[in-house]
Amino acid sequence: MRRRRLFSLVRHVLLLVWTAVTLFPIYWMLITSFKHSGEWVTWPPRWFPHEPTLINYVKVLTPGTSTFELGRQTLKILKPLWDSLIISTVGALVAVALGSALAYSWARFGTGGRNYPYNILSIRMVPPIVIAVPFVVYFATLRLLDTYTGLILVYVATCLPYVIWMMLAFIDEVPVELERAARLMGASRLRVLRSVVLPLTASGLVVTFLFVFILNWSELLLALTLTNTEVSTIPIQLNKFQSANEGRDYGPQAAIGAIATLPVVVLGFLIQKHLLRGFSFGLLRK
Amino acid sequence: MTTPGPTAARRGARRWLERERVFKWLPFVSVQGLFTFLLLPNVLLLIYLSFLSWRITRGAWWNAAFAGLDTFRGALEDERFRWAVARTFGFAAAAVPLELLLGFGLALLCRRHFRGRRFYTTVFLLPMMIVPAVVGYDLSMLLIDQGPFNQLLSLLAGRTITVRWLSDYTAAQIAVIGADVWQWTALTFLIFTSGMAGLPEEPIRAARVMGASRWQIFWHVELPLLKPVIAIAVVLRSMEALKIFDYPMLLTQGGPGNATETVAVYLWRVGWEFARVSDAAAMSLILLVVVAMYTFVALRVLRRERRRLAEESVA
Repeated sequence: MRRRRLFSLVRHVLLLVWTAVTLFPIYWMLITSFKHSGEWVTWPPRWFPHEPTLINYVKVLTPGTSTFELGRQTLKILKPLWDSLIISTVGALVAVALGSALAYSWARFGTGGRNYPYNILSIRMVPPIVIAVPFVVYFATLRLLDTYTGLILVYVATCLPYVIWMMLAFIDEVPVELERAARLMGASRLRVLRSVVLPLTASGLVVTFLFVFILNWSELLLALTLTNTEVSTIPIQLNKFQSANEGRDYGPQAAIGAIATLPVVVLGFLIQKHLLRGFSFGLLRK
Repeated sequence: MTTPGPTAARRGARRWLERERVFKWLPFVSVQGLFTFLLLPNVLLLIYLSFLSWRITRGAWWNAAFAGLDTFRGALEDERFRWAVARTFGFAAAAVPLELLLGFGLALLCRRHFRGRRFYTTVFLLPMMIVPAVVGYDLSMLLIDQGPFNQLLSLLAGRTITVRWLSDYTAAQIAVIGADVWQWTALTFLIFTSGMAGLPEEPIRAARVMGASRWQIFWHVELPLLKPVIAIAVVLRSMEALKIFDYPMLLTQGGPGNATETVAVYLWRVGWEFARVSDAAAMSLILLVVVAMYTFVALRVLRRERRRLAEESVA
């Protein structure tokens, strides 16, 4: 009994240490986003703003584009926020639809051969920087540079390996007998998909969607390569601000970080239960 | 009487999808089509560009002169490139094992129900939901010489410590590795937690009936069952770690010196900042070969694990 209590204590201590490690940077980002410029850099650093303010949020969320004023850049993110949202959402939706269809057809009919999931995964291994250079030339000729379509196509392709591997696990859980029974009772293939497979894999689809949405939402290198002035995403903006102001505009940048983080965290929180079961990639014996 | 309207078209599309051949092959064909469309011309272009001596500043690429194998020789002799490749593998070799150990340990601690478990798991998942660029930028704020991180260190040590995280060679490298570990331990934690939640109960119960201790069950029953899950965590994390780009770009811009210049950052510079496109293409090809060798080995391991799993499930 005593040993058990000791174990429980040690466990809490260890877990609290990692909790502190995890929360510290997040806390600092949040707290900085509420600070006036005078409090960004002080010694000793201020763990709580003396005069909390919303000015940073107001600054970055006013409409308009980022401009240079007196050598300083004003950071405005409404447009990139919108672009990010559209590109990430559409990209994730298409990738999930296409990838789960492929996972299903591989699991049931073996299309593409036994090693197909591995071949797909090897595509994900290609570092994006490798094809960044020719990509610009190629997309420029196709007039896909700096467009939603171009970036969405690329994101669908980069997400597909993850979608396929995650969905394979969920499709494995669907009993084939059930599908066969439905077919025997005269249901069409599409009907089986809609009434048997879809309900049983719904939570998997949601988890997969969230994960690839995060991937798209955070992607920097390809976005930086394939966009110019028309389209811009949040990571690109952060990168720009970091180099333009030598990263010294702490408050507004922290506000952007908080804004970019919030929607994903809320989504993740809502589906946490499914998230915690959905990442074993079907690699366990049943 | 059939009037060709939207409903008729929809019925037609549905009938078309119902056909066995279409139903089976449509997803495969569209995915292959997408990959071919995006990758094939790019790879061909990459190879072609790497044989030229094209710089963006010097006219169009179709007018550039042939350089033959000179670009490749130049790339292989470029010490900065070789160091960048080695550094990237080094970062991955430092970060990935740490992520795996931490993720596994935390998942183990959070395995059974106890008070506060929900809170801990919620917190531990947070880092993977943050944009890596934000993480890099956020750390650059924490790690300034007179920043909160040094303050904390001083507090813990009881004396003033000023590590120059962003301008000291080794410290900057540790910072980049730390950023990766901080963010992606969340993913390994998630993978291992769902692996442990999905462990089958019978073998464990059987072992317990036979009088095995907790430790024996863990070592001889659970760990072997988890091996494939560990394998995929290694594969996924290492292939992402070899692409490290965001953290150095936002944290240190590859510096101080070249301390944190990963291969992605260096190729970015060669291609866009120095505008030596053909050199970048040649280096990209070399990198592609290196990564392909690594991929080959990694996927073989993964395939073996999965095949063994299939055999065991049948038995």
